[in-house]
Amino acid sequence: MNTKPLVVENLKKSFGKVSALRGVDLSVDRGEIFGLIGPDGAGKTTFIRIVVSLLNADEGAVYFQGKPVRENIAYVRSRIGYMPQRFSLYPDLTVEENLRFFGDLFGVPLKIQKERMERLYRFSRLGAFKDRRADALSGGMKQKLALSCMLMHEPEVIVMDEPTYGVDPVSRSELWEILRTLTDEGRTILVSTAYMDEAQLCDRVGLIFKGEVLAQGKPDSLLNLITDPLYMVKTPQPHRVYFELLKHFEAVDCNIFGNGVHVIDRHSVGAEQIAKILKQSNFDFDEITPIRPGIEDVFLKLIRTANPSAKPEQRGELSA
Amino acid sequence: MQRLLYLIQKEFRQIRRERMFVGIIFIMPIFQLILLGFAITTDIKNVSMVLVDEDHSAFSRKVEESFAVTTAFRYLGAVQNVEQAKQRIKKGEAQLAVVIPYHFERDVKSGKSPGMLILIDGVDGNSAGVIAAYVGRVAERLQKTWLPKSGLSPIQIKNLHLTELRTRMIYNPNLKSVDNIVPGILAILIIIITSFLTGMSIVREKEIGTLEQLMVTPLRNWELLAGKIIPMIAVVFLLLNVGILAAGLIFGLWIKGNLFSLYALALLFSLSGLSLGVFVSTISQTQQQAMFFAWFFMIFSILLSGFFIPIENMPPLIQLITYLNPVRYFMIVIREIYLKGTPIIYLWQQALAMTVFGIVMFVLAGLRFQKRLG
Repeated sequence: MNTKPLVVENLKKSFGKVSALRGVDLSVDRGEIFGLIGPDGAGKTTFIRIVVSLLNADEGAVYFQGKPVRENIAYVRSRIGYMPQRFSLYPDLTVEENLRFFGDLFGVPLKIQKERMERLYRFSRLGAFKDRRADALSGGMKQKLALSCMLMHEPEVIVMDEPTYGVDPVSRSELWEILRTLTDEGRTILVSTAYMDEAQLCDRVGLIFKGEVLAQGKPDSLLNLITDPLYMVKTPQPHRVYFELLKHFEAVDCNIFGNGVHVIDRHSVGAEQIAKILKQSNFDFDEITPIRPGIEDVFLKLIRTANPSAKPEQRGELSA
Repeated sequence: MQRLLYLIQKEFRQIRRERMFVGIIFIMPIFQLILLGFAITTDIKNVSMVLVDEDHSAFSRKVEESFAVTTAFRYLGAVQNVEQAKQRIKKGEAQLAVVIPYHFERDVKSGKSPGMLILIDGVDGNSAGVIAAYVGRVAERLQKTWLPKSGLSPIQIKNLHLTELRTRMIYNPNLKSVDNIVPGILAILIIIITSFLTGMSIVREKEIGTLEQLMVTPLRNWELLAGKIIPMIAVVFLLLNVGILAAGLIFGLWIKGNLFSLYALALLFSLSGLSLGVFVSTISQTQQQAMFFAWFFMIFSILLSGFFIPIENMPPLIQLITYLNPVRYFMIVIREIYLKGTPIIYLWQQALAMTVFGIVMFVLAGLRFQKRLG
């Protein structure tokens, strides 16, 4: 019997005519952080809601510790920790009341609740605010409280839907530190995010787009999917440079970034040749440097390969 | 079971902390009672009237006299015939015309049912109903005090009916509308509070995302539902008692019947409102939507309850529709218990209807709730 914390097989789900998930397979190992990365509308939330038993799939199955979720809802719900996308705590209850309430619901004895609360206060640094109403907390603290509420029953598997969405950078890195501590204790985490840079903080990632997982594996091994040299054309006018480059390179290989254009040089044209092309057409650029690909480059390449006709604006919102 | 208690505890914490609830429980009933109690008056004074006397007998003159001395009427004098009386009403000079037909005295004396034509300005249906009741009262008085002295035999008097009496006057002899309105307001308050607050409190958890969080806990759906409903019942009971006290202190109107009968039937009635609230929560995503939907249903149930408009005054089809309105039954119950002191046994029909509605609505709303969550 397969006793991995989470195994998902050929998951399909449609809402009317819209296919939210088109056959997703993935598995999460014990003690790892698995990142589900993709733009808004990729199907992350649908996927997660099916995993935590809130939604039924049209096809396929989810196994939680080897048991099919659909037939073991009570078992799953008492052992999984789920954090929905929105802050899910009671704004009119205090920090401590929120923690107590979730501890109570999971039937955690009072004495153990006290111990756990002390621990959670330590790593969330919410101890000083325990009598403060949740709505008086800052965004980052609210998120940490929501996380703490979910940890009151010490779930073996933790599922979080975009926990860092709209959270300031400092709180974001704190949150990731907490997640790492949790996996060090042997817990398993499935987390979704639209932030590409968070991929490096995961043990393994799955890149999801339009209801399909395009690739999954260790972040570094995904980077190896780009074998050709990659250049960064730094320019104050990325859009104009991008359209000029399209005349010479395939659309699959060019991508606009905030500070320039990334070009995958699959025919080994070389940086000098690219510079020459741009100079001939009198385009402004600061420099052309070879760079190591990031997850975003991989993601864009995969999307382009999957939908060669997609224009940049149709690729969905990506956050670097 | 334990979990349910925790949920209720949490719910009460939130209620205690929400200032709005204090207002709703203590201020709202008092405010509504004062405002509506004084403002909605169907009492009618100085009904201008004319009289046509075709009989010119001693009896007809006594009828005329009875109307003339009653303070509710302002007697403008006699007119020649029915046509003239109609004209006066059309011009708006008179609201009421009483026509005593030829042979009135003879019919009375011979024990036939004497007819008296009553013309009432029906522009305002409610007032017209009240005026008709006033006329009925005058007729009743005539019957009681004046006929025994008229030299007729008791058998003849027994067979004589000047007008049919309206049951309303039995328990509200003053025809004071405030007595009718006040228990009505209590009924309305119950339906408003149960449906609005239940709906909003569930949808609020949807809005802040905690409902989804609660779903992924060992909490069962029925516990979730009960955890929402039980605190609301407590709120409604508190509010009902504040309302009962306020009605007594402000209007001197104390409950005549058994308080516990009222409690029991109010609980039964609350079930319909709570179910409506649960139903509303399943079709709403935001609290605004919940408010809107609750209000939509509320308008019908209040207007078709007999609160403002007597159900007898409605067209037959609408009267049939009112049978589908749980408020209709409780409106009767609370007025009966409050004003007449009717024992609960005589209200079994209303109680049965409310039970049926309560259970059916609760099951439907509960199933929908389950489905939406599942």
